Formats: sequence, structure tokens, C-alpha cells
Amino acid sequence: MSAVLVLVLRLLMAAALYAFLGLALYTLWQELRQHAEMLTLLRIPTLILNSGQESHTFQKADVLLGRAPGNDLRLDDPTVSAYHARLSFHHGHWWVEDLHSTNGTALNGERIQTATVLVDGDSLQIGAVTVHVKILPITR
Amino acid sequence: MNLILQRRLLLLTALFLILYALVLTLSPAVRARSWEVDYRLAHWGGLLLWGVGFIGLDFLSARRLGEHDPYLIPLLALLSGWGLLTIFRLDVTLGWRQSLWLMVGLLASSGVILYPSLLSWLQRYKYVWLTAAIILTALTLILGRNPAGNGPRLWLGCCGVYFQPSEVLKLLFVTYLAAYLSGYVKPFQPLSPLLRPTLLVTAIAVLLLIVQRDSGTASLMLLLYAALLYAATGRKRIVLLSLAGLLLAAAIGYFSVPIVHQRIQVWLFPWEDPSGSAYQIVQSLMAIANGGVFGRGPGLGSPGLVPVAHSDFIFSAIAEETGLLGALALFTLWALLFFRGLTIAFHATTRFHRLLATGISLYLGLQGLVIMGGNLRLFPLTGVTLPLFSYGGSSLLAGMLSVTLLLLISHHPDSEPLPISDVRPYSHLGMAFLIFSLLLALSAGWWSLVRAEGLLARTDNPRRALTDRLVRRGSLLDRQGRPLNESLPQAGGYQRVYHYPPLSTLLGYTHPVYGQAGLEASLDDWLRGMRGNPALLLWWHRLAYGTPPPGLDVRLSLDLSWQRMVDEELGNFRGAIVLMNPQSGEVLAVASHPWFDPNQLETGWEGWMKSPDAPFLNRALQGRYAPGNLLLPWEEMLLGKSGIYLPSEVERIQGLLLGHSAEGGALRVTPLEIAPLAATLNNAGVKPPLRLVLAVNTPQQGWVIVPAEGEAQTVLSAAQASTLARNLTSPGQTFWEYLAESHDGEKRLAWYLAGTPPEWSGPPLVLVVLLEDQAGDTARQLGRSILHEWMMGKQGAALTK
Repeated sequence: MSAVLVLVLRLLMAAALYAFLGLALYTLWQELRQHAEMLTLLRIPTLILNSGQESHTFQKADVLLGRAPGNDLRLDDPTVSAYHARLSFHHGHWWVEDLHSTNGTALNGERIQTATVLVDGDSLQIGAVTVHVKILPITR
Repeated sequence: MNLILQRRLLLLTALFLILYALVLTLSPAVRARSWEVDYRLAHWGGLLLWGVGFIGLDFLSARRLGEHDPYLIPLLALLSGWGLLTIFRLDVTLGWRQSLWLMVGLLASSGVILYPSLLSWLQRYKYVWLTAAIILTALTLILGRNPAGNGPRLWLGCCGVYFQPSEVLKLLFVTYLAAYLSGYVKPFQPLSPLLRPTLLVTAIAVLLLIVQRDSGTASLMLLLYAALLYAATGRKRIVLLSLAGLLLAAAIGYFSVPIVHQRIQVWLFPWEDPSGSAYQIVQSLMAIANGGVFGRGPGLGSPGLVPVAHSDFIFSAIAEETGLLGALALFTLWALLFFRGLTIAFHATTRFHRLLATGISLYLGLQGLVIMGGNLRLFPLTGVTLPLFSYGGSSLLAGMLSVTLLLLISHHPDSEPLPISDVRPYSHLGMAFLIFSLLLALSAGWWSLVRAEGLLARTDNPRRALTDRLVRRGSLLDRQGRPLNESLPQAGGYQRVYHYPPLSTLLGYTHPVYGQAGLEASLDDWLRGMRGNPALLLWWHRLAYGTPPPGLDVRLSLDLSWQRMVDEELGNFRGAIVLMNPQSGEVLAVASHPWFDPNQLETGWEGWMKSPDAPFLNRALQGRYAPGNLLLPWEEMLLGKSGIYLPSEVERIQGLLLGHSAEGGALRVTPLEIAPLAATLNNAGVKPPLRLVLAVNTPQQGWVIVPAEGEAQTVLSAAQASTLARNLTSPGQTFWEYLAESHDGEKRLAWYLAGTPPEWSGPPLVLVVLLEDQAGDTARQLGRSILHEWMMGKQGAALTK
């Protein structure tokens, strides 16, 4: 008799444990779906950089500038450091950030100390090289 | 929205734990199959403290943190609560201690939530904290103790309160690494300057732990270091180098450090020394096997049989009592905790937060995988705890603080996460974690499903002896239904009582320490109820009680009255007597003297083992004696009386008569195998198959006849048999008899065979007497007096039925 009662309680116990797992996994799955939906709405504005002759178009959130081969935009100039500056998109804007370069980074002629917001038409001075920034509006 | 989810999950947790506690309370009633028992109640106190504590933490998190991860507090509550109840189930005193530590941990967590600036303090003074932790750990070299008495001295403290600094060291080590690595933003920095200080710190910590003989924590720290560095830099080389380093260290340890050698040896070959160095792991696997799919239920398994089940081996306790279902749920919870940690890392707003969240997830996740894998024999065993679950204040505190730090990191009013430069390390770490979780699940299934039957049937499975106390074991009965041994209910459970000790060498014994012997061993399946019961009944008893159903009684061919008479006759002689019905092959009495008293095994064992009389030896069954001229009448009958026999001819005849011939030059026979041969004279030359077991009492069909093993075999023709019987009947006697004397080295042996005359109308009988160190006359007198008694018909008449 006690065995039947305890067996029922044991089954309920297992059900409670799996209900916990089920609820947790279900809500996680829902959250994932919401995220995916949000991310399809959230797009990065296209960034076009022009350092003289040719333009480079970027469709990602993180762009590195410098002389070393690992950079997204290579600037072959002695005044440019190996990893000179980083452009990144967050909080709804493109930002420029100097990576402790030797000759510094300037935005429209002004030397930047911290991460600074970029807008369409700005020009960046990476060492002695000037890079023109073009930001395309998001097309839906 | 998130708070509602958190509270729903907490409610489900509470429901699960209350049901667990309820089952634990009722479990003694199920064990004893009665309501009149002492119920387990102590754990409700722990559960109450747990409930109050987590209600407090829930309110605090709602008030002070606002939006935060809704899964962490329920996961913390479920893992620590489940652990707490499991510890209460194993040991009430430890349960109370763990409840107090849980309260301390909850207070500490509340403190962290109230003062979130702690995070930046941790980052700023990273070297101070780490140095303090290393110094504390180093102190254990001088002041270290082990609360358990002996073993590695990894604890600090006195007077009942002990603290294991290496637990906190792990957490502060992760914090230090996260703080140090977050200072480096440049993604493509050369590696070596980045590594130098952290390598130094890691080396110091790991060396310290190795000196301390805490190799488990040391290897865990190395793994943590490699994984976190990989997450921060994305260099695969680091992981490969560290894994190679760890393997190298294991290889060096295998050949030079005894404890490492032993651990790896035990991991690779546990079955070679299951009662010595591999005892723990083999017992752990048996516990997991005993769990099966549904588990035995809280309080209904025997997880206490695994040494230190409350700490390193808590996983096997969980697996035994909640089964594969519980184990799989635990793996999933672990994965949930790990991936929530990584998700929090993704959404972190600073690099330090991101790396700290990653580090903490790795610390909890890896340690859990390593120890659960160790319990499942997937990895070599490392002496670390299952975080949040295992008994141990420092381990619980470190685990709770880790989860609280994750909670703090998950709370950020500025919701934009820091961009991630390289997402691959995270996905690789996540993938590796999933693969290992899957391996854990597969090995849990392997031990609890595929290998369960074999593991549980092992004779070193103590659960078999335990169930003998809980469930009535079947009795052995004589042919009239008189019990020869019986399991009687006593205060501490069923007790095996042997009513007729002189039969001990045949019936054997079943004992929790000395194991099983004789018929108790060979008929164990029936006596234990594993055979003869319907499959559904077996399944139900295993599910509901975790034991087999009540055992079946087995009826033997022995006749207790004749057995008594024969034992009296044999008295103090060393030797054996067998009485057999020559037509049916049923053995009516088997005496072997000297014997032992199976009711007194504890006190007598040593002496009997050493005794030159060998009282454990069943001389009728196992005593191999030189036959001398014993086979001569049969040989003469088959080969002719006069000639000198060729050895090959003799060998052929021996093969025909006995089924075997001389081994190593000399023929040896047992009295019990001679009895069917003697029976040929009364059975028209046919050797009947030996019968000792007549029937078994099944619950469905009542007494079911057990057929004889082996087949009747014609050795002589009917005419030869009657001639031989006549030749062996001396003038003036009414029965046939044959005396043979032989020597075995120094030992004199007397064989005496006799049987009722073939034309005898009463119940037929043959008997075999063997005496050690006695003259043939003594054997003859003995045998004659038994046969006289039989033919007087006093009790013989009853046997025809």
C-alpha cells in the first residue's frame, strides 16, 4: 500500500522536475525566436571607406584599419601603425576608436581621445592617410 | 515578465523538492512494508530554511536588480535544494551542517546583490585577492587538516568549522584571469607578453595544489586557464598546447606519482581490483546500475554503500535514487546553467564582465562534467565536488557566489552589449560542452541499462545481502516439507536460521560478509525470488520496492529423519555417507563429518578455515578420494574375471562407469558419484541421474517438479546386474555389500557399498560409506547397521509415497 502511494509521489516528483526543464527550455526557445526576429529588423548601415583611389564597402559591425595584413582595410603608409584604429557599429551609430597608434587618429582634423561617433561625409586621418567615410541609410 | 518566469520556475522547484521530501519521509514504510516505522523527518527543517532563504533572495533580486536573468535563481535553488535533501538522506548531521552553510551562502549572495560595486573591486584589486587566496591555500601546507581524519590535508579551521581554500582559489583565479585579459583590447597582439604573468600565476597555483596532493583541482585549473584564454584570444593553439600539457603531466604522473598512477590504473582496469583500490568506482557503477531508468526513489536505494557519497560521489547517489531520468535531468540542468552563463557573457557590457561570466560558466560547467564523468568512469576520477550539490561549505559558498556574480552581470540597465570580435571560441566551447554532456548521458545509459544486470548480479554487490534482510528468502525443505533453513523476521530484518547444522556442508550458507556457499548459492535464483516468479511481479517489486519479490521455497529429496539417523551413525568419524533410492536417483541423506555451524559463522569462521579437519569441505560432494579396488566388481563383470587388463581397457571402462578417468595419473572419485554406480545393481544395470532438488513452490502453479539433471545411463545388462548383486551377497546375509580399502599417500581410506537385495519388495536403497583413517570393518559395521534399520522398515515404508 505504502509502495503504491510512494510510487505515485515519485512519478509526480519526476513530472515536477521535467516541468521545470520543459518550462525553462520552452521560454528559452521563445526568447531565441524573438531575438531572431529582432535581429532581422536590426541592420547595420553599410559603411563605405575611400582612401584615395578605391572605395571599400563594409557590411559588418567591426572594421579594423592599419598597416598589418590582418586588417579589414590595409593602409600601406609608414605613418600608419600595424593596428591603427577600429570602426564599430553599436548603440545605433558607427564609432571610431584609436588603438593607441603612434601617430594618432583624427576626425575632421581633430585628434580623438575616446570612441567618437561617425556620420556620413566625415573624413578620418589615419596617420598621414585620409579616409573618407560614407554611411548609407538603411533600406528596408 | 522575467520575474513571473523566475517565480514560476521557483514554484516548480519547490514542488519537486516537497515531493522529494515527502517520499523520503515515507520511504521507511516502503522498506519495511508496514506503516509502523520511524519516519524520516529531519530534512523538513533543512527544506524550510531553504524555502525561507530563497523567498528572501527572490524578493531581493526583484527589488534591487530589476531586470536580470530569470533562470539563475531557480537553477541555484533547484541544484542546492536537491543537493541538500540528498545530503540529508545520506547523513542527517551533515544535512544540518549543509543547511547552515546554505544560509551563509544566501547571506553572502544577498550581500553581493546589495553591493554590486564588488564587481569593480574584484577587477581593480585582482592581484590582492588572488595573492590572498594563494596564501590561504599555501597555509594548508602548514596548518592544513582533514576533517575526515586522514587523507590530503586541504582544510583550514578548527573546532568543527572547516574551510577549503582551494574552492575559493578557483573562483578568484577565474576573476583574476578575466580582469587581466580584459585589460588587453588589441585583438592581434603577440601572444607571449599576454601569457607571461598569467602563466606565472597559473604555474604557482597549480604547483601549490600538486604539492598539496590536490591533483584534481590542479588539472581543473589548467583546463580553466586554457579555455578562458581561448575564449579571450581565439587561438586554438592554446587549447591544443594545454591539452597536450595535461596529457603529458598525466603520463609523467602515471609513471612517477603513486596516486596518479593508481587513479589512472583504476580508471582503465577497475575490474582487476574491485575490492581494493577500485572499490569506490565499482561501487559507484553498481549504484548507478541499481538506479535503472526510474531510480529506486528517495530513501529507497542504498547510496550510502559508496564511500564519500555525500561529496565526490553524490552523483552516483542521485543516479541510484532518481535513476536515469534524474541523471539526464541533472545533465540538462548543468547545460542550462552553462549556456545561460555564456548568454550572459554575450550580453555583457564590458569586456571584464564578459570574460568573468565566461570564466564562471566554464568553472561551474567543467567541474560538474569532470566529477560526474569521474563517477561514470568516463574520465579518471578527480577529487572535486559537484558544485552547489555536494556536501562542503566552501564548495557551496564558492558555487553560490559564482552564480550571484553571473546574476549581477546579467543586470545591466544599459542594454546594448559590447560587440564581439570573434564568436568562434564561444561556439567551440559550447560545442565541446554539449559533446561531453552527450557522452555523460550515453555512459549513464550504458551503466544503468545495458550493463545493469551484470553489475547487480556481482557477488560483491552488497545490495544483495541487504535485500535478504528486507525480503523473505525462500526456505530449503526436506522431502516431507520440514524446513532445513529459514529466514525469520527479527528486529533488524530477516535473519537466516539453519535448523539442522550437520547438513551445513551440503546446504551451505548465505551471509552478508562471508557470501554464499552450497545449495544456498546454487539455488540462489529461486530462494531470492529472481526465478520462478512471473516477470510482471518481478518488474513491479523492482519498481516499487527496489527488491526482488519474496523468495520461493525449494523442496529437496533429503529425508530429515534418515539424515539424523545417518549423522548419528557417522558421529565423530571423518568421512561421508550417502543414501540413495537406486530407482529414482533421489538422494535421501548426505552426511559429511566434521561439519560447521552456519549459525555461528562470525565466531567460528577463522578457526574452521584453519582447521586441518576442513569442516567446510563436503566430503560426499567434493572429497576426491582414491578408489582402490572400489570399481573392481564392475570391471570384472565387463572385462572378465581372470585376465590382466590393458591400461587402455581399464581407462575405457572407467570412462563408461564414471564419465571421467584418471587425472594426472591417479583416479579420484567422490562418494556422491559412486552412489549411482552402486544403484546399477538394484536398477537392472542402469545408472539413474542424481536428484537432490525435487520441486519448487511457485506463487502461480504451486509446487512445480524440477526435472533431474542428466540422463539415465545403462552400464550393465539386467542379467549382469543381478549376477553381480548375487555374487556380492555373502552367505547368511539378505543384502549385497562390497568393501574396498585404499590408500591416499599416508591416509587410509575405507569404502563400503551396500544395497537392498534386487528382489526386495520394500523401498529400495543403496548406500555409500567412506571413512578416513579407519579400518574397513568400522565402515562395514556402520553401513550394515544403517541398512538393517532401513530393512526393518521402521521409517522406510513412509518413503514409498
